[in-house]
Amino acid sequence: MSDTSPAPAAPVIEFLGVTKTFGDHTVYEDMDLQVRRGETLTIIGGSGQGKSVCLKMMIGLLQADGGQVKVDGNVVGEQGPEGLRTIRQRVAYVFQGGALFDSMTVLDNIGYALREHTDMGDEAIYDKARACVEMVGLPERVLQSLPASLSGGMRKRVALARSIAIEPEVILYDEPTTGLDPKNINRISAMIMKLQRELDVTSVVVTHDMPTARKVSDRIAMLYEKQFPFVGSAEEMWHSPKREVRDFIHGTLREAEARHGA
Amino acid sequence: MRRVIERFGAIVLSGLDWVGGLTSLALRSSAVGPRRPFGVDDIASQMVEQGVRSLPITSFMSLFIGMILAVQFGWALADFGATMALGDASSLALVRELVPTLIALTVGAKMAAGMAAELGSMKVTEQIDAVAALGADPIKKLVWPRLVAATLATPLLVAWGNIMALIGGMLIGDWVYAVPAGYFYETYVDELAPIDYIQSLVKGVIFGYLVGLIGCYQGFSTKFGTEAVGVSTMETVVATSICVIIADFYLTMIFL
Repeated sequence: MSDTSPAPAAPVIEFLGVTKTFGDHTVYEDMDLQVRRGETLTIIGGSGQGKSVCLKMMIGLLQADGGQVKVDGNVVGEQGPEGLRTIRQRVAYVFQGGALFDSMTVLDNIGYALREHTDMGDEAIYDKARACVEMVGLPERVLQSLPASLSGGMRKRVALARSIAIEPEVILYDEPTTGLDPKNINRISAMIMKLQRELDVTSVVVTHDMPTARKVSDRIAMLYEKQFPFVGSAEEMWHSPKREVRDFIHGTLREAEARHGA
Repeated sequence: MRRVIERFGAIVLSGLDWVGGLTSLALRSSAVGPRRPFGVDDIASQMVEQGVRSLPITSFMSLFIGMILAVQFGWALADFGATMALGDASSLALVRELVPTLIALTVGAKMAAGMAAELGSMKVTEQIDAVAALGADPIKKLVWPRLVAATLATPLLVAWGNIMALIGGMLIGDWVYAVPAGYFYETYVDELAPIDYIQSLVKGVIFGYLVGLIGCYQGFSTKFGTEAVGVSTMETVVATSICVIIADFYLTMIFL
């Protein structure tokens, strides 16, 4: 009997035997992970286990102490300033709190990377920024606002608009739905799927929110005890016999029930 | 006894770590800063923020330093009937020492604390990481403009402060000790040699560089949480004061 399922796409990001420590605290030990081109991979795990560290290593904001992190075959830790700049032009990062520059308008926030990486003039940057905010469902008038005047959900969407302005191949989302109400959680989840569909990007989402993970993911990687003991589809995860996976699912379900019940 | 030695050792190590970090930042900023684009707009905006906005406090401080010193010297000189020497007596102390040092200790500490608070807030809200993630160099974008602006603005503020201190001395000389303003000015300026002006400005440049470097380093090394921003800002004021005083001692020794 031959296997008719399509071969998995080539990895765009790879972790090979990665070790990462902060002082006495080891976050990763001999950790392996692959992110395939075009997929949405969600990294889940408990708080403080190093989910965001994983994303930061992908664009060289943090370096691995051992092993290799590769983006398109290039070892991130071996890149000089120019190499990192190229990687960061292709891999965008949406920070947990948005990390919008307080002193700049939304237009300048979105135009920041365009000014860094391109020779676009003010008019072209404005047009691009308008297209980006419209793509994330915000009106044009928001371009002249300061981040402090926006709601939490709007700030997240502006951060999303800023990340897509340079037309990246990969988008890294760090806890995109944390701190949002259910309506905005659904909106951001839909936005992730829409960008995936329309821009054909690879997405890596870090979250501890199981419903979001199930909704947006092609595959889920569960971080536990410094490694990823489970990587597979949401369906496979749901039916996984592994104790740590079952514990995590039941724990997050109880958390979700408590949140909705409150 | 052992705990005391351990504690002392930890303080020494942490001090060395701090000096090492500061030196590393100085080297990195001098490596990436002078490359194109020079960031003239960012430097100009920081000059306005740190220099122009510090003019009122600099004017106020320097005017009163000149007035206080004139009152003190006039009081002493009056015993010898030598109040007409008020200009000569005040000039060296003000230009060589008091104006540059007190401006660095007050206005400089304010500038450094402002930088530490701003960059520290950016650090805890991941804005510094965002600068890097968007493909820019945080040292070039955030440290270099502040360092250059502080290094350029402080000697200019010192020069302005010297003028205000002279005016303060003239006012007290004229009103309290009946020393004509024109005479005070002539004796004040006659006493000063070019090296005194140079000393004043060189101190301004070096104090300004220290202020910028310490403010940026403290901001970049802020730990997590809003409380850390407060701690970092407070430490900046202390570190700036200590470093300015130590630098002042060595500069005075060099110029003597």
